[in-house]
Amino acid sequence: MTPHELHLARISNDLFNVALFAYIASMVGYFAYLAFRREVLRIGAKAVLMFGLAAHFLSIVQRGLAAGRVPWGNMYEYSSLLAFLAVLGYVVIVEGRYKSRTLGGFVLMFAVLTMAIAVSFFYVGPGPLVPALNSYWIKIHVVAAILGSSLFALGGGVLTIAYLVKDARERREAAGPAARPPIMGASIDLADPPYYAPGADDPVGATGSTDGRGILPPSATLDRMAYRTIAFAFPIWTFAVIAGAIWAQEAWGRYWGWDPKETWSFITWTIYAGYLHARATSGWKGRRAAVIALVGFVSLLVTYYAVNLWIVGLHSYKGF
Amino acid sequence: MRTALVLLLLLALASVVGSLVPQGPNSPERVARFQVDHPLLGDFYRHAGFFDVFGSWWFVLITTLLVISLVLCLVPRTRAAIRGLRQRPVQAREIDGFPQYSERTVATRPELAIASSQKVLRRRMFRVSRAEGVLAAEKGTLREVGSLLFHWSFLLLLVGVIYGKGTGFTGKALVVEGETWTDGAANYDGTVREGRFFSGDFTGVGVRLLDFEDTYRRTGQPMDFVSHVDLLEPDGSLAGRADIRVNHPAEIDGLSIYQYGFGWAPVVEVREGDRLLYSAPAPFGQLSPPAGVPQLALPWNGVVKLPSVGEGLGIQLVLWPDSSAYLQSLETGRPVLMTQANHPIMFFTTWRGPLLDPSPRSLDISVMRRWTTGTIGQGTTCDLATGKCWEDGTRPVGPGELTMSFPALRQYSVLQVSRDRGVPIVLAAAILLLLGLLPALYTSRRKVWVRAEANGEGTVLKVGGFALQRKSQFEEEFSKLVDELERASGEKVGTR
Repeated sequence: MTPHELHLARISNDLFNVALFAYIASMVGYFAYLAFRREVLRIGAKAVLMFGLAAHFLSIVQRGLAAGRVPWGNMYEYSSLLAFLAVLGYVVIVEGRYKSRTLGGFVLMFAVLTMAIAVSFFYVGPGPLVPALNSYWIKIHVVAAILGSSLFALGGGVLTIAYLVKDARERREAAGPAARPPIMGASIDLADPPYYAPGADDPVGATGSTDGRGILPPSATLDRMAYRTIAFAFPIWTFAVIAGAIWAQEAWGRYWGWDPKETWSFITWTIYAGYLHARATSGWKGRRAAVIALVGFVSLLVTYYAVNLWIVGLHSYKGF
Repeated sequence: MRTALVLLLLLALASVVGSLVPQGPNSPERVARFQVDHPLLGDFYRHAGFFDVFGSWWFVLITTLLVISLVLCLVPRTRAAIRGLRQRPVQAREIDGFPQYSERTVATRPELAIASSQKVLRRRMFRVSRAEGVLAAEKGTLREVGSLLFHWSFLLLLVGVIYGKGTGFTGKALVVEGETWTDGAANYDGTVREGRFFSGDFTGVGVRLLDFEDTYRRTGQPMDFVSHVDLLEPDGSLAGRADIRVNHPAEIDGLSIYQYGFGWAPVVEVREGDRLLYSAPAPFGQLSPPAGVPQLALPWNGVVKLPSVGEGLGIQLVLWPDSSAYLQSLETGRPVLMTQANHPIMFFTTWRGPLLDPSPRSLDISVMRRWTTGTIGQGTTCDLATGKCWEDGTRPVGPGELTMSFPALRQYSVLQVSRDRGVPIVLAAAILLLLGLLPALYTSRRKVWVRAEANGEGTVLKVGGFALQRKSQFEEEFSKLVDELERASGEKVGTR
């Protein structure tokens, strides 16, 4: 490694730390906003978040320059990019598309944990790829896998947890002293014509304005955001698995061999396929579907961490 | 659909077991170790098929049930979809009862209002059917078509997997530099994994290994493994030249050939006087390293067997491809990586007695007598009776004297050879599956009805509609649509 490359790697590491601390500060800011409801806290947290995101992006670019290849060749780099995409996904989808500005703390918690684990356990200097990874498929398969993972983490993890929290609270309020009737959408009157039955992406639970006190978005909005994010991630994940199979055919002589990584990515795929079907069938909406999404998130974590670290297989990349 | 869903989740659950319990087809040695460590649990696992989840009868059963339930679900759905595609959109009797409803009064005759509305809806990609003073329109049939395509492709994928794996095989070919390997049942190294319907039709094509190269970084991290080969037709003519490396297989006659492994194969010659008894490169293997020792620092082990010498002669050999690394590790007490050959040496031990073990790579010494030991370098010859060695040609060999020489060190390459005719089917199915998934998830079905009723000078345009998915988005789309219908039908008179 030339001094120039070492220099780039050092800059990348410094920027990584800057991003990590910016995320931590921003996370604290978002949570403080939830606690104290001061608009200035939210705006400050968002500004720090955007600063961290920019530093993180530069860190990833520098890393790629230092190694002279794509910056997702080992677990450290993969984790860094995963956290970056999850935060970016939050900014674009949740804050941009759905104008929901209070969930930053939750997604940053995920990003900070992922990055902290990466830097403490997986750090390796930049270097060339091992032969098994040295293929143009690393650009296709791994990018799709990271993108799918980060969106699943956002939809199946962060947004679903927020939904469950909010939903529990709304239920408590709804079942208050006067024993109000169930929230609209919790049960479906079979006498209704079919077009009144909610569609797969229609919100369940209270809609909009019933939420007077909570600062999190209404559960209906969270539910829809979670569904849309997962529905966005699912084809990407499907593509990642297919591209992985094509790569496996090229590298190992079989497109599918029940290697632990293959097995777990299939399990994750199956669970989210189940989630999408559950949403399309009445009776499995709201909380029950959210639980499936959460199980999928756990499966995703197993696919990434457990399979890479503890379950021996062809994808055990730790240390390279 | 719920049955299929439950079966799919059961499949996922079975896969969890498959990833946590060691699997025979992937790692037989770990299965064996598990059975030794946990005899009771191991017995249970073996009977339940947990050591081969993906080949077990219950995994096959779940898959079969899944296929059946999918087909049972898809056939009526497909029929209904085809019927729906053939049918023109159906007129509604009452249109003011739909979730979306709007009325506009326009200054034109009803026929003209209907004609211009039809044009607008067509432009917006609706399928439209027209009757006297009424329109029925729908959009988003692609959702159902995509969903059906996705599910049928999933079935096609299963069919491709079963066909390909069933009629295919995979095995390992060991080729030493300079030698040729031919595709035939007897020539595979170890067992060939054959599909259930494999007919034993090996091709007879050949692979001649010209050179094997392995390169490393100084840390021992591998950089590249490449086998330079000639591919030969069954009649021996040259079909082409290929560099087989990780991620770059070669293809010939439906066979795919992959770089799998490599090792050292010293050429060993044994003579009795002038008579050559044995001359061949012997492929050597390595033990798995103890914790903390890199594989590259370990020596290589092999045997040479001579059943015709006395009651039998076996030579155990331990090769250090880099003798200076060996000396350095002796001095420092630390393992030293050997990434290339450098004055290779072999330690040998000779054994006399019956050769019971038929394997060419191991020696059963339980009934053999230890005879001599020694150290042989490349380009030297040793007297096996004494273990004494000399440079080749510096000493005449007496008649009847048993000698061993080590003229050259070559490398061998292990190639994985497999055939799977289902690959194109599986690939096509995967692409179709993805193509179906996108409209199935991202389009929504919506229906719109228009009725134009004469009202004095002008016309009342009644528009109703609903969406099966994405209802909140449809509200917006609907109000824009009504505005456009009104504009197209002429001047605005009033809204009710």
